[in-house]
Amino acid sequence: MTEKLNVFAVRTLTQKEYFAPGHRACQGCAEVLAVRLVAKALGRNVIVSNATGCMEIVSSPLPFTSWRVPWFHVAFENTAAVASGIEAGLKVLMRKGRIPRKKIVSLAMAGDGGTADIGLQALSGALERGHDFIYICTDNEAYMNTGIQRSSSTPFGASTTTSPAGKVQIGQITWKKNMAAIAAAHNIPYVATACPSYPIDLVQKVKKAAEIEGPAYIHILSVCPTGWRSAPELSIKLGRLAAETGVFPLYEVDHGKYRLSIDFPKLKPVKEYIKLQGRFRHLTDDMIEQIEKRIRKEYEELKEKAAKGARDDSNRG
Amino acid sequence: MIPFMIDGQPVEGKEGGNVLEVALDAGIEIPHLCYNESVRPYGACRLCLVEVSRRGRTRLTTACTYPVLEGIEVYTQTEKVLRARRMIIELILAMCPGDQLIQDMAREMGVHAVRFKQEDKDCILCGLCSRICEEVVGAHAIQFAFRGDRREMIPPFLGEAMNCIACGACVVACPVDVIKMKEEGDERTIVRWKRTLKMKQCKVCGNYFAPWFQLEKFRDQAKLQKDFFDVCYTCRT
Repeated sequence: MTEKLNVFAVRTLTQKEYFAPGHRACQGCAEVLAVRLVAKALGRNVIVSNATGCMEIVSSPLPFTSWRVPWFHVAFENTAAVASGIEAGLKVLMRKGRIPRKKIVSLAMAGDGGTADIGLQALSGALERGHDFIYICTDNEAYMNTGIQRSSSTPFGASTTTSPAGKVQIGQITWKKNMAAIAAAHNIPYVATACPSYPIDLVQKVKKAAEIEGPAYIHILSVCPTGWRSAPELSIKLGRLAAETGVFPLYEVDHGKYRLSIDFPKLKPVKEYIKLQGRFRHLTDDMIEQIEKRIRKEYEELKEKAAKGARDDSNRG
Repeated sequence: MIPFMIDGQPVEGKEGGNVLEVALDAGIEIPHLCYNESVRPYGACRLCLVEVSRRGRTRLTTACTYPVLEGIEVYTQTEKVLRARRMIIELILAMCPGDQLIQDMAREMGVHAVRFKQEDKDCILCGLCSRICEEVVGAHAIQFAFRGDRREMIPPFLGEAMNCIACGACVVACPVDVIKMKEEGDERTIVRWKRTLKMKQCKVCGNYFAPWFQLEKFRDQAKLQKDFFDVCYTCRT
């Protein structure tokens, strides 16, 4: 219920910055905003393992670092494995009395490439083993830091350097991999999607994930003006549009129960989202309609699941 | 920066700061409920009690209201402090036995049974909601009513809080999460303050984005044109 709070509620968040300014993210980067909010939500008792990717590059140019909390740079493949190792290690150290007993969150963070493509098996393993950690995927829908190569999270029709739009091909010809659904299929306690355009919602989801025992997965859509070929000042708007058009619905799966965080009476046409981005500029109206149809269908399915969750709730209550 | 000691660990605080924020920054855990950085410290919950030694004298005081002073020595884990904290959490637990956070905190501090008469309140009277409403929002919608053990945080005269703009800042800030907000159709309700406001619909997309009353107030204060809030934040160009 807190998605539309954006005037004063954000000012009640902590003013401490655990992700320091002065990093080297592009203008209008929503991913770095998401990371800053996540860091704010978790506070200082956290150990971050960060896969290679934009966030690792911009936050740690030798000899500087933006992180005011313990931070590891790990390879693409093993983010979740390292995070689960950290969690296990902390548990043992606390049991042996080497460090005082307190809640220290193990946070794994990776981009969409490090989650949906390369790090998937480590993630799946860690989710299945049930480590008490948070995995955050900051999804900017391609390998942006190496120069916009397609990933399995790139949406249909997007033009990237390895799926260029031209006479032969219309850009990416596969649909976006639904990572949140894959994570939810592991039957873990908490899965959520979030977007930094809804800051309070994001912060509360991260806090909830930290409280819940067991693995939690949060998928954050982060608008990337460089790779999406959009204007930097539109990043927040694009994030909102993604939710309002149904392209990236915000929901959470709490112990198997779906709940839509924000349910719009009427979805906006997908074209409004698409026309602001240069990576979709080659799409014809037919293709946009095709995309819209698919997105509507997926949204309906999600809504059905959420309605079922609400019914279960009322039956029990 | 002013140097002083917490639990034998040298720390530094800004002038005008308080002991609690320095301690939390240095990773020294002090339990607290009524402290929020965006408002002035208030010292209502008393959970952040510490022992402060200054010029050879030692006293029990709340860390959130104690200013950073040069050469003071702060102790957060002495027997006296822990005993006082246990008593306070037991009293809070007796007042609000149903709060999950209070129960967890009590268990962590080693309080398992309550020796006092139990009440069935849910509000811990930290005053954070009213302080945020005053200092951050500037709406002055709610305040404490009555005194002593009858003190309560209620909407004025138990009616509707007429100044409330339903911004939801108190909903987010409440440490024990007892202020609830409901959104149904075109109405937003802050249940505890009995305040229901009609939401404004965006002229372009038709989504409800903020309460009428709130937007009118903003428009008044900032002297904006009449149609400034006709469209929602996303549809605005």
